[in-house]
Amino acid sequence: MSDGAEAAPALKTIGQRLPRVDARERVTGEARYPADLALPGMVYARLLRSPHAHARILRIDTTRAAALRGVLAVVSAADFPELPVGAMIPMGEVGYDMWMVAQINIARRKVHWVGQPVAAVAAVDPHVAEAALALIDVDYEPLPAVLDIASAMAPDAPVLHDHVFTKGIEPRPRTPGNVCSRTVIERGDAQAALKAARATARLSVQVDTAHQGYLEPQAVVAQVDANGFATVWASTQGQFTAELMIAAMLGLPASKLKVVPMEIGGGFGGKIAIHGEAAAVRLSQKCRRPVKLVLSREEVLQGGSGPPAAALIDVAVGAGEDGRLLAITGNYHLDAGGLPGLSPSLVMQASAALYQCPNLDLQGYDVVTNKPRTEAYRAPVGIQAAFAMEQAMDMLCQQLGMDPLDFRLRNASVTGSTMPIGTPFPSIGLTTILERVREHPCWRDPVPEGRLPRGRGLALGYWRGTSMTSAGHITIAGDGRPMVTMGAVDLSGTRTTMAQVVAEEFGLSIDDIHIHTGDSKSVGYSDGAAGSRVARTMTAALVEASRDALAQLRRRAAEKLQCAADQLDYASGMFRARSGGAAISLAELMQATLTDGAIVGRGVSTKLPLGVEIGAHVCDVEVDDRTGLVTVQRYTAFQDVGLALNPAAVEGQMEGSVVQGLGWALTEGFDYGPDGRLRNASLLDYRMPTALDVPKIECVIVETPVPNVPYGVRGVGEVPIVPPAAAVANAIARATGVRITRMPMTPERVLAAIERARRGKV
Amino acid sequence: MKALLNCTVNGAEHSVLADSRDTLLDLLRDRLGLTGTKEGCGNGNCGTCTVLMDGAPVNACLVLAVEVPGRSVFTIEGLCTDGALHPLQQALVEHGGTQCGFCTPGIVLAAKALLDENPRPSEAQIRHAIAGNLCRCTGYGKIVEAIAAVVQEQSR
Repeated sequence: MSDGAEAAPALKTIGQRLPRVDARERVTGEARYPADLALPGMVYARLLRSPHAHARILRIDTTRAAALRGVLAVVSAADFPELPVGAMIPMGEVGYDMWMVAQINIARRKVHWVGQPVAAVAAVDPHVAEAALALIDVDYEPLPAVLDIASAMAPDAPVLHDHVFTKGIEPRPRTPGNVCSRTVIERGDAQAALKAARATARLSVQVDTAHQGYLEPQAVVAQVDANGFATVWASTQGQFTAELMIAAMLGLPASKLKVVPMEIGGGFGGKIAIHGEAAAVRLSQKCRRPVKLVLSREEVLQGGSGPPAAALIDVAVGAGEDGRLLAITGNYHLDAGGLPGLSPSLVMQASAALYQCPNLDLQGYDVVTNKPRTEAYRAPVGIQAAFAMEQAMDMLCQQLGMDPLDFRLRNASVTGSTMPIGTPFPSIGLTTILERVREHPCWRDPVPEGRLPRGRGLALGYWRGTSMTSAGHITIAGDGRPMVTMGAVDLSGTRTTMAQVVAEEFGLSIDDIHIHTGDSKSVGYSDGAAGSRVARTMTAALVEASRDALAQLRRRAAEKLQCAADQLDYASGMFRARSGGAAISLAELMQATLTDGAIVGRGVSTKLPLGVEIGAHVCDVEVDDRTGLVTVQRYTAFQDVGLALNPAAVEGQMEGSVVQGLGWALTEGFDYGPDGRLRNASLLDYRMPTALDVPKIECVIVETPVPNVPYGVRGVGEVPIVPPAAAVANAIARATGVRITRMPMTPERVLAAIERARRGKV
Repeated sequence: MKALLNCTVNGAEHSVLADSRDTLLDLLRDRLGLTGTKEGCGNGNCGTCTVLMDGAPVNACLVLAVEVPGRSVFTIEGLCTDGALHPLQQALVEHGGTQCGFCTPGIVLAAKALLDENPRPSEAQIRHAIAGNLCRCTGYGKIVEAIAAVVQEQSR
């Protein structure tokens, strides 16, 4: 394994702005997503979903549906083995509880949100399948529902799960409740330090649920052959994770199932867990036909997939006369939806990590409510935390009369300073980023004058990311070209950047590399594409695989050239004897040794050092103080990416991520009615940014390589969604003097805040 | 109920047995196997299924199949017949204007409709022309750059 220093010699392919190797099939529409598949004899599935936010299922009778002409199979929870709470499969820090995954896919005994699947049907065409849903008889006993964090935590609140006793509280509670866990990060005495501080700022924010907004709804085709072997063509962030989940839900041995990852039309965290795949396989087993299930957009939004968490966050920060931070306190309540959610720990770390601060008191609570079970969304809960913390820091700067950039520089975490979890920071470039902000026109130029109030905001973002396992292998074709199979799906240009890595290792052109993602039976286990881990860890795996393949080729070349293997030089597809000048190309070598068996270079990366992501964003807004409309006029994102494998791909990740953040910041929020039904379950009423709503996002790439990671690569894709809401809020505050504490910052909410402030002044 | 429809898609005549409930999108994807046109929402809000009907961009999910006879439909499959990419496709490739690719066919056709109508649009006109096409991956910047590059190349 190399270290960051190895990136110093001139790189030929890595670092180039190359187009995506898979771009051609995308612009021609030839790229195949699961919904594009049609198999002989294929039938169509639909899911019956709960109309209640909270209810006991008393009876499910599928007799009438099964009798409808054209219906081939109907399944409900009774058709799946019951999994105990805590049946874990690996993925991420803590893995996935299969009891929860099963509930997300098909409810048993109770429903916990509107839209939770209750039954599934397969029929000869989608119209018949739809008609059959109305013939499935389900008797419910409706129960009182809780739809927000505060009512879920009320002393007399209806309890969602009898087995949930709050973890992290001593003594263990004697009755079940809706708070699943409490997490604490403490350092020093933050409350005392806050009291003694020269300046303090406090802020409470509320963040509405949003959605990942991938354009491709979940889709799957499942086929079970005569021997009972199931093939699942899926739109998934991880073919191995999907396989583990489907196998557990069906009680299938791993050798009886493979998941083929098709092109994925956006995931952003929402396609890690399965949403209907196991039901499609069960239906296919029952009716002996290939089964296609494609969710509608309304299903995707209403509860057929997991949105990210709503949050209530209270923070307080204090600093001394010199502008040095003395204390950070925070209470983080995350709304997990109908089943226990992500640990609040990551978000608590994220919001405090970028500041050196002697006293911390952070407490996080994971709360269940009768809404769709939440899933990850790009740096999960990072934007919510930054919306609170980065506004509080800005308020503190205003209290101190200090420039927000100077304040950040004074308190910035540096390599070796202590992270919130108590360990030293690995190599980070925060101060470098901040110096780059200071020099840049986006910060230096005055805010342009306008007819309406304008302001500029600065906000930072941190995301830890993860590493986990990536595997790949490389065979060599008869013409000497490397054929790469990797275990990670391509969410963000992975095929392109990994082809660049292999081209670099082999000294070949990227056009000489063939690369694809393997199915779950044709490549080594890899964790899902999540947590900004794939580019970094797959680089490590494919560097290892390339060197393994080259070592095998070297032995063959030595034999052919009749010299010792260590007397050969390799460069640009050619082995050359150091003395005598004999040489053989990879193509000649493969032709000469075609009958000697396959060259297979193998690589795997586990537990690679983290490539923490850090960004600083600067945003200019104009606020129409008569309508509350906020227009983003200029946006610049600075980010330390370690080393940009492909700057165009890096910018693509940053620009897309920022615009998702701006969407949530300004317009994207779920509107639940009192019955737990989503009132804006369409892409007209759930308002994502269009090309008219956002400016061109400027990107400034900083490169501080991560030691002991091949080429020094960091995660890229997640952190740019973290600062935007806070950057916009800070800009609004500088423009109007008003703090917006509810996200999204819709015109209605901004105007109300401005009017409240006006009334307060009168 | 099924009906026999005669329609013209990408210049070719087809006779297709379609369900009276089928949309143009169903007709293209399920009956003709032209899956380059993708479905993102099914109710005209995302623009993913944009095709050209008599040269004008429409959401194929909002047109009934029975409305198609007598009209000329043009899809992404019609754009690149001899293996060479259309300049808009080439520009999207070169400028990083496609990521997950799901919105891309619709964006290409919306942009083609714009340039057919107005060969020298401003950036604002480009943004307006694709405002009905949601993209969740790119943030639009590189798509707008790609279209602007084609405009610049063609105005030389």
